Amino acid sequence: MFSHGFGCDQHMWRDVAREFEADFRVILFDHVGAGRSDLGAYDSQKYSMLDGYADDVVEIGRELGLENAVFVGHSVSAMIGALASIKAPGMFSDLVMVGPSPRYIDDKDYVGGFSREQVEELLEFLADNHLGWSAAMAPAIMGNADRPELTERLASSFCATDPDIAREFARVTFFSDNRDDLPAVSARTLVLQCREDIIAPISVGEYVRDRVPDSSFILLGATGHCPNLSAPAEVTAAIRAFV
Amino acid sequence: MKANQTIARWLDRRQDDLLGTHFHELLSFGGRIAFETHLAPMLRLQGFVEELALDLLSSDGAKIPVIANAAEKRDSEGHHIFTRLTLFKAVERRAYERDLLEARSKAEAAIGAEQETAILREQFIAVLGHDLRNPLAALAAGARLLHKRESLSERGKLIVNEMNASVSRAAALVTNLLDFARGRLGGGLPLNRVPDQALTPVLEQVVSEIRAVNPDRAILTDLSLTEPVDCDPSRIAQLASNLVSNAVTHGAPGLPIELEAATAGGRFILSVTNGGVPIAPEAREQLFQPFFRGAVRRSQQGLGLGLFIVHEIAKAHGGSMEVDSTAERTRFTFSMPLTRHEEKANPG
Repeated sequence: MFSHGFGCDQHMWRDVAREFEADFRVILFDHVGAGRSDLGAYDSQKYSMLDGYADDVVEIGRELGLENAVFVGHSVSAMIGALASIKAPGMFSDLVMVGPSPRYIDDKDYVGGFSREQVEELLEFLADNHLGWSAAMAPAIMGNADRPELTERLASSFCATDPDIAREFARVTFFSDNRDDLPAVSARTLVLQCREDIIAPISVGEYVRDRVPDSSFILLGATGHCPNLSAPAEVTAAIRAFV
Repeated sequence: MKANQTIARWLDRRQDDLLGTHFHELLSFGGRIAFETHLAPMLRLQGFVEELALDLLSSDGAKIPVIANAAEKRDSEGHHIFTRLTLFKAVERRAYERDLLEARSKAEAAIGAEQETAILREQFIAVLGHDLRNPLAALAAGARLLHKRESLSERGKLIVNEMNASVSRAAALVTNLLDFARGRLGGGLPLNRVPDQALTPVLEQVVSEIRAVNPDRAILTDLSLTEPVDCDPSRIAQLASNLVSNAVTHGAPGLPIELEAATAGGRFILSVTNGGVPIAPEAREQLFQPFFRGAVRRSQQGLGLGLFIVHEIAKAHGGSMEVDSTAERTRFTFSMPLTRHEEKANPG
């Protein structure tokens, strides 16, 4: 099961997920508020904590009868997967965390990489750019005679995000603190860490490795926060070697 | 990154300095996170992004709002060659957008507060109406006892009668208020329907009560109810009572009031007619609105809920109200299907 993070939708996994389709049953989904999810299912109360999103993962897993499945979560979905694996023992035997962070804001000796002011500024930015995000919901279909597959993909729109929900999701994500949940994760866990990732610095990935009992850590050559898009081959190879 | 002279000038940096930096390093913190999580993936997935709202940071830390269009150039094998970003300064536009957002959230807050006040006000009316009932009932019982058990002078009897009339008017107002509040708070008037109600005694009772407190007014009745009516009898009584009281208040004192009721053609039809000054055509449309009061200047005018409740009762029974007003007479007509079944067959 591939789970996308804040800011995008299941398309995020396009170039990785297809490499597993031949020998795995691949599950892709959009979190509520993203992609083609049912925006009417959004409930500020339920999704005021990552638990709400984790409950959805468990619900999907139960519906599909998952046992000992592999959960691959990018960014905030790494923690959503950790919570889901604790909530539903036996559903996920393996977790792959791509760019995880159990807490984004610095706290005493813990370095999350963000200050509270920076998170507030991000939320302000998202509020401010409401119209910009709305426009992003419906990208114009441009003529791409030389790349027909692009035109086709355009029709479905990428990373569609409801601006109001995105703002609440950002608040929940960047104010989350799941450090105490890490030792309770019993699934075999792989942490995939990027270089120069301003959202999840290397020290945070190492922190996750140190706290999750059965875990291993790979520092990818990829830079930025989205290796699933910028270096799909490297991510695919690492996941393959793990499972 | 290669940036042109214009961007270097906006940022107050040298063009050469910008070589070797990444675009995201020019962004405000919030913009950088949004860029990493949302815009960069979108750019990678669809090859371009348009109308991004971003803030650049100049060398002194000031934010420069820009709108950006971005497009990737890839070779025939799909390898990335370069990404071109075109930036437009958007200080005015962003200020305008911010104003719009602020105006919207202010309007939303105002509506929320307004709705809260409206609900409170209606709850207050409901509670007040309810609490006024008991003292009114006590007053009515007291007046009745005085009238029946005590030997009063002629003048005393007159006064008790006047008191009785006032108490029943007040009670009717309170009932209307309560129904109004209930209708607004709970959505529609509740009915206790009786499938085969004989309405003649119900209507006679209404008329005799109004006659008792208005002994000097002529109220004629013509009731030919040959079939039972599927209705809430107390609501029909309330409707008739409101219409007749209305006629007493607004009709010419010297002319009789007529209450006619009949069952015919599968319908129950009730009308109340009075003489006097006709209702102005422009007022007719608003007659059934709550708190509507006509141009009549009389001290005993009510809250303007009577006809509103009449209309609500008619609606709840699947019926309708009509008004016809000429120099000769003013007539209110209520019409409803005899049974609920026909109500479905003939909506309206």
